[in-house]
Amino acid sequence: MKTRIALMAAVAALATATLTPDAHAQDASVKVEFELGRSTGSVMLVLFASEADYNTNRPVRNAVIPADATTVSVTFEGLEPGSYAIKSFHDINGNGDMDTNPFGMPIEPYAFSNNALGNMGPASWSEARFTVEGDTVQTLILR
Amino acid sequence: MIPSRRSFLLGAAALGSTVVTPDVAEAARLISAQEAVTSDWGLVTRDVERDLAPHRLTRIHGRAPAGLEGALYRNGPAKFRRPGGSAEHWFDGDGLIRRFGVADGQATLSARFADTPKRRQEAEMDAMVVPGFGSPGDPRARIGSNDDANAANTSVLRVGDDLWALWEGGSPMAMDPDTLETRGFVTLRDDLKSMPFLAHPRVERDGRIWNLGMNGTQAIVWRLAADGALEDARVVRLPRASYVHDFTATARHLVIVLQPWVQVRQTMPFSSGFEWQAGTGTRVLVLDKDDLAVRREFELPDFGFFHLGEAWEEADGTIRFDVCATDDMRFAAAGASKILNGVPVGGEPARLALAALRPDGSAQLERTAFIAEFPRSDPRRAGLARRYSLHTSGEHADRPFASAVGLYDWSTGRDAQYDFGPDQVVEEMVVVPKPGRSGETDAWLVGPTINLREQATELHVLDMARLADGPVASWRSHTAVPAGFHGIWAG
Repeated sequence: MKTRIALMAAVAALATATLTPDAHAQDASVKVEFELGRSTGSVMLVLFASEADYNTNRPVRNAVIPADATTVSVTFEGLEPGSYAIKSFHDINGNGDMDTNPFGMPIEPYAFSNNALGNMGPASWSEARFTVEGDTVQTLILR
Repeated sequence: MIPSRRSFLLGAAALGSTVVTPDVAEAARLISAQEAVTSDWGLVTRDVERDLAPHRLTRIHGRAPAGLEGALYRNGPAKFRRPGGSAEHWFDGDGLIRRFGVADGQATLSARFADTPKRRQEAEMDAMVVPGFGSPGDPRARIGSNDDANAANTSVLRVGDDLWALWEGGSPMAMDPDTLETRGFVTLRDDLKSMPFLAHPRVERDGRIWNLGMNGTQAIVWRLAADGALEDARVVRLPRASYVHDFTATARHLVIVLQPWVQVRQTMPFSSGFEWQAGTGTRVLVLDKDDLAVRREFELPDFGFFHLGEAWEEADGTIRFDVCATDDMRFAAAGASKILNGVPVGGEPARLALAALRPDGSAQLERTAFIAEFPRSDPRRAGLARRYSLHTSGEHADRPFASAVGLYDWSTGRDAQYDFGPDQVVEEMVVVPKPGRSGETDAWLVGPTINLREQATELHVLDMARLADGPVASWRSHTAVPAGFHGIWAG
């Protein structure tokens, strides 16, 4: 019983959408670093720019990073300064899904920005929200 | 992205939302009023503030029998209260793993808490915030998986080089069997990470381990080699979402008893999602160990229970097992909250009964009048016919803890008992076979009591063949460790 999760839906939506750079993009950036327990598969992440988008899985950016080391990173450039939040997981076996155990619990590491942890559910926007201003760094633990 | 709140709840077998029953509300009110534990059994649920270094116990009676060498490992909750908030149910305290060593005629005791994410989080916040069986939890809790709520507080299992501290809604927690240092959660296979593992595995005579993990009308059936290697794991469907704390097994079958205390909603605390469905009977599912798809169902009258004895199959195919049966599960829902606050429970204690599942599909429950909990039996006869059931006894409405140990003889209907007296709280005792002997009563019984008058934990050894004579050896600690739930002997 594998649950295809909303992150993948978000990534899939992005893959089929026509993405054009925001004409009003400014020079702010966020470098997202991941500390991994294993160097296999890939890290998948999505970046949100508002609470509404966070709650409905409409990201402004996404990335798939090969997990070829125990520390990997990606930098999103050209962001407007403001509030953002990240959802991510380590697709250890590279099957494109966040795998779950037979009772539906995630078995691959996941993280929200600020390394926020929810209470029997996803971290809320208020817990995961961070400010991007100039060059910002988020270090997330995925293990 | 992350599974929805619902799927988290579905996945966390022991976690569920918040419909507070009147009894739970009353218990919560009592806690919030910060009433002191004033009953004489307050020691039973006292808080232990730190690990207990290994120390020699003082011999107070008799002498250790020659040939009795090994360790009694026990587990039970021992930290319930913190300044910022307290657990609201006996079952939700932090697991303290105790090691009573017996060697060269001497006895020792050490105890360490399982170093769980729950305990770390609550120590950091100085508040008990994690929801559980009877505690609703606090919004400040950070719970990313069921193992973040794992109290590792119910029983122990010796596996390979590890001692596993078991809860029932999450993974086993591996400990060092000598130092009791926490090694970490056990993942038996990557795709089964965080799957629940009940606190009552059944161990065959050759050491093979069977267990269940529950999730409503689903159960995972675990089969492990004696060294803990996973041999098989598969999910089976159950006919109803009963509360299952324990199951049993014959040499050839798994016996899953589905009481009429049924999960009707996913809520916190977990126990408040269950409803007593009077008149719907207790259903029993029997699975063939060799082919879990081969199943039979039986129906018994309504009864509630936590604990079953080992099952066996007779020549005509009749399956029998003993059970400590109650009229309902009010104790589970509310009584164990009252215990934590020193409030008399007022309910009827469990009594020993024997179930028979017949080849023609009929089933009967033979009830005895004997008060009994924590049933144990000869491990040399696991899954085989036997005559005796060891149990604790002496609980009554005003005193929810045992004062006696009993040995029921199914062939005569007699119960040999030894009563330690009203000053003693008797915990589960285990059957330790005498080396080189094979008779069913060729065994010692080993277990602790809490001496309320001396405010100290004691360790006792009885001869199973002469149980009514009382201990052949007793030792006393300088301190009282709160009551544990379940233990094992490792020779």
